[in-house]
Amino acid sequence: MAAPITFNTALPVAKEEFLFRQQFINMQSGDDPSGAQRDRSENMSATTLAYGINNRLALFGVLPYRDIDLSMDMGSGKVSRSNSGLGDISVFARYIFQQNNQAGRTLRLAAFAGLKAPTGEDEASDSIGTLPPPLQLGSGSWDAFGGLVVTRQTLDYQLDAQLSYRINNEANHFEAGNVLRLDASLQKRIWPRELGSGVPGFVYAVLELNATSQEKNALNGTNDNNSGGTRILLAPGLQYVTRRWIAETSVQFPVSQNLNGTALELDTIARAGIRFNF
Amino acid sequence: MKITNLKNILFKSTRLILASTLTSAALVWSSASFAGGTEYDLRVDGLACPFCAYGIEKKFTKTKGVESVEVDLKNGLVIVKTDESKTFKEEELKTIVHDAGFTMKSMTEKAR
Repeated sequence: MAAPITFNTALPVAKEEFLFRQQFINMQSGDDPSGAQRDRSENMSATTLAYGINNRLALFGVLPYRDIDLSMDMGSGKVSRSNSGLGDISVFARYIFQQNNQAGRTLRLAAFAGLKAPTGEDEASDSIGTLPPPLQLGSGSWDAFGGLVVTRQTLDYQLDAQLSYRINNEANHFEAGNVLRLDASLQKRIWPRELGSGVPGFVYAVLELNATSQEKNALNGTNDNNSGGTRILLAPGLQYVTRRWIAETSVQFPVSQNLNGTALELDTIARAGIRFNF
Repeated sequence: MKITNLKNILFKSTRLILASTLTSAALVWSSASFAGGTEYDLRVDGLACPFCAYGIEKKFTKTKGVESVEVDLKNGLVIVKTDESKTFKEEELKTIVHDAGFTMKSMTEKAR
């Protein structure tokens, strides 16, 4: 299966096989309603490794390397702060509880659940002092997440959708708001237009939608009214799928951001990556 | 008399050598044309992209005695060729296909 670009839970993993995905991600957030001219950029290298315990149960691990910059106007001038290193690792299991294979098509329904472990540094500081949470590599907390994912694939297209919920916990007097996510991905084969014999490489045009609703963060037990809210992103992309590997790229654009207070708005998330099984 | 006998012996020997050579050549040709082994043509449901095809190819090529695996995505066909040391039972083929995440609907086999 080609699988979505912006989420991992639909990745196909066969019994006793490994799958490796490497993505390079650039996130830009610069539309600041607070007037402080905050500008946050992050480059991330996300490594995903999956293993099929059997043909229904698969284990996944995702380890990010993060490089974050945040600049803002402090009144006396613009101040830039940065941090880089390994972030928090996420591990999860996925179980396919319903699978219906037909000629040239398949339908799969699966549930997944996992944990984010606090492997990233969460109390980093610079010459000014302790870095704020958006600049920390990790949250310092163990967080749980779970959800459902459905995949429908034919020789012409693939449709994936996931619904997930993440419970964030408190660490260092800070607790990020819980997150409800709905993601959908449509991959349409655009080349070859007509299938011949054998196994040709496929080019898919991809369109993905990512909707998130996040509760307010809490600092020392008090809600931060300038955090959380809802966000809907649209991500056109391309995938080139061969027997051994897949190359993929997409750019997520916000189509709606209804954030609380002066929460920093997202500009774009660009991704490029490769995937192969071994 | 002696010369006639010698000619007969030479003639018979030549025929024998020629016949042996032809028989050997025929045997060599025969073994080259019929390598032994079996071809299994599997109808597989759920195959819908090249990445899937590799998963099923890999499962079969790990099996000792499998010489080649070809996948025809459009027709949902997987062709597995084995050498003479390997024969598959239908249940074994179904299990391999199942482990790769697909469903084997039917199969035919023929000697190669």
